[in-house]
Amino acid sequence: MRSVPRAAGPAGDLDMVVRCRRGDGTAWRSLYDRYAPVVHRFLAAFGVPTEEREDACQEVFVAVYRSLGRFRGEARLSTWIYRIAARHAARAGRRRRVRKLLSTLLVREPAPPPAPDPSDRTDRLRLLDDMIARLSEKKRLVLVLFEIEGVPIEEVAKIAGCPENTAWSRLHYARAELTAMAKRRMK
Amino acid sequence: MSTPRWPDGHDPAARELAAALDHARARTADDMSLRRGWSAVADLPERRLPPRVRRWSYFAGGVASAALAGACAALLWPRTIGGPRPGAVASAPEAGVRRLTLEGGVEAKLSASGVLRFDGGDPRVEGGEVRFSVPHRAPGRPFIVRAESYWVVVVGTRFGVAVDGGRNVAIDVDEGVVEVWGRGQDGKGAARRLARLAPGEGWRSPPVAVEPPVVAPPPTPAADAAPAAGARPATASAEPVDKAPRHAARSSGHAFALASPGGGEIVHAVEAPPSESPPPTGDPTAIARAALASGDTTRALQLYRALAGKSGPAAENAAYEIGKILGDKLGQPAAAVAAWRRYRSEYPQGLLRIEADVSIIETLARSGETDDALAEAADFLRRHPDSERRGEIARVAGDLYRARGDCRRAVGAYQIAIGAARTRDVSEAAAFHRAECLVRLGDSGGPDAARAYLRSYPSGRFRSEATALVSEDGRSR
Repeated sequence: MRSVPRAAGPAGDLDMVVRCRRGDGTAWRSLYDRYAPVVHRFLAAFGVPTEEREDACQEVFVAVYRSLGRFRGEARLSTWIYRIAARHAARAGRRRRVRKLLSTLLVREPAPPPAPDPSDRTDRLRLLDDMIARLSEKKRLVLVLFEIEGVPIEEVAKIAGCPENTAWSRLHYARAELTAMAKRRMK
Repeated sequence: MSTPRWPDGHDPAARELAAALDHARARTADDMSLRRGWSAVADLPERRLPPRVRRWSYFAGGVASAALAGACAALLWPRTIGGPRPGAVASAPEAGVRRLTLEGGVEAKLSASGVLRFDGGDPRVEGGEVRFSVPHRAPGRPFIVRAESYWVVVVGTRFGVAVDGGRNVAIDVDEGVVEVWGRGQDGKGAARRLARLAPGEGWRSPPVAVEPPVVAPPPTPAADAAPAAGARPATASAEPVDKAPRHAARSSGHAFALASPGGGEIVHAVEAPPSESPPPTGDPTAIARAALASGDTTRALQLYRALAGKSGPAAENAAYEIGKILGDKLGQPAAAVAAWRRYRSEYPQGLLRIEADVSIIETLARSGETDDALAEAADFLRRHPDSERRGEIARVAGDLYRARGDCRRAVGAYQIAIGAARTRDVSEAAAFHRAECLVRLGDSGGPDAARAYLRSYPSGRFRSEATALVSEDGRSR
């Protein structure tokens, strides 16, 4: 099994949630500090563009706070937050697609081309983001959680709402598609 | 169950993929973005959130919205399709106004004789008055309106732009903050910020004495906010207030003028006589802001100083604003820098920390304190590896090194700027100046860098200079 230090539920999560429910601002700050970078990274990998990411992250935390009362502690807090973030990212993606469709129908000016960036790091990331964006939503979620976020497959299955075998199968196809895309680009 | 490491294999595609995944795993959020996020959700424990809406009401709402959207589309379709395509011109009817909705939800209201042209880039006010209402924009994506040889840069606000028969441009702000950019009266030289306008303020261009210059491609403002070392503010021009286009001094109030450091004139408009509209009471920040908007800089400064002595977000904001007033309004760069440094020592993790850092660097660079500016810039680049302002600051550092003749360090700074640039303007300027410095250093990569610049920006601002660098290389061979 892969080691998954990042996604492991840190001690004290449940206590933090209980204190947040009581309106403890310090606990809420701790929860934000611990999970905001994770949510940001997940949203970035899932394909939420930079200009929307900040708002999307805020929406996720409003949703987290609103739903804290329903967190029973049966799953890890990280799993629960990933699930909320995935739902928001998918919704944002749908909104973006509708906007894009409307803009091709109604609006006029094409978006400016991205600034060229010679650094390998950003170039590679842009290529990866582009390839991941071509995967279906289900495969993308599994791949991002497992390969980038380091979430164990049983947690991935819980977040994706599918059996573990299905998560493995989605991961297998996502990897195969990504490898094929990378090979095509290298030719 | 165990899983083999992926991507497996040793082919270049697998290696590239593995490296890209490593980068994605190491991706970190921008510090400023996290802080902004926190400021938006910090008070949730004190806020009483409305209860969640049940699913059936979503469905009912969806059906109602779809019906409404259909009705609106039927009403708006002909106008939107016939509207702002590249090259289209929108004008108001002889008597009356015309309203347009532009990309990003921007609303434009054309008064009688107002003419707005869409030539594939930013909308341009060609005549008359057009008032805009711009919803909040994402960082790094400002809305830009052009008028003659100026452009108005907006993050989210309500404002008006007018061009009169004499091709004079006037801008006034109802809400938010806008910046006016230009290349000076002759239309040449580096683009620079001519004015920053707060609510109640207006700006008008100096009178046009010669044929107006050809408008350069719009800059992205943040980058040009950092002028090259040694750049001095243009001579301020003074124009009598009564010559200003009609709206700069509102009919409901009165106006007075200050010379703007970059040319043109800032007009402070007092919306209404005090007897009709008493100053805001209660919120000290609102009172200070109102004092500033009405041009009472001294009072605003006093109020902000009193506020800064307290605690909480308002005190933090006031501590930062003091620097802005001292620098932008009172022309005291040293005092402004001292105020921002005080802010930093009081709020080392403050929400406006990065803004304070950037303001200090820009102010020091503008006032010729090159060593200090470079030290601050180097510190900024070291402390904020993921900041969205990194590109701008690296470019400032590059410009300062270049002006000192230290091309080697300038190349390094421009390299950072290119890698971190969030805007075309920063990446374009950095790409060209990097090539220029490499050529000066006699580096064989210089002409290639100039060629790369020309390939990336075939109609860029520095194309003639870059072409000269390439042809010089051809001759020397």
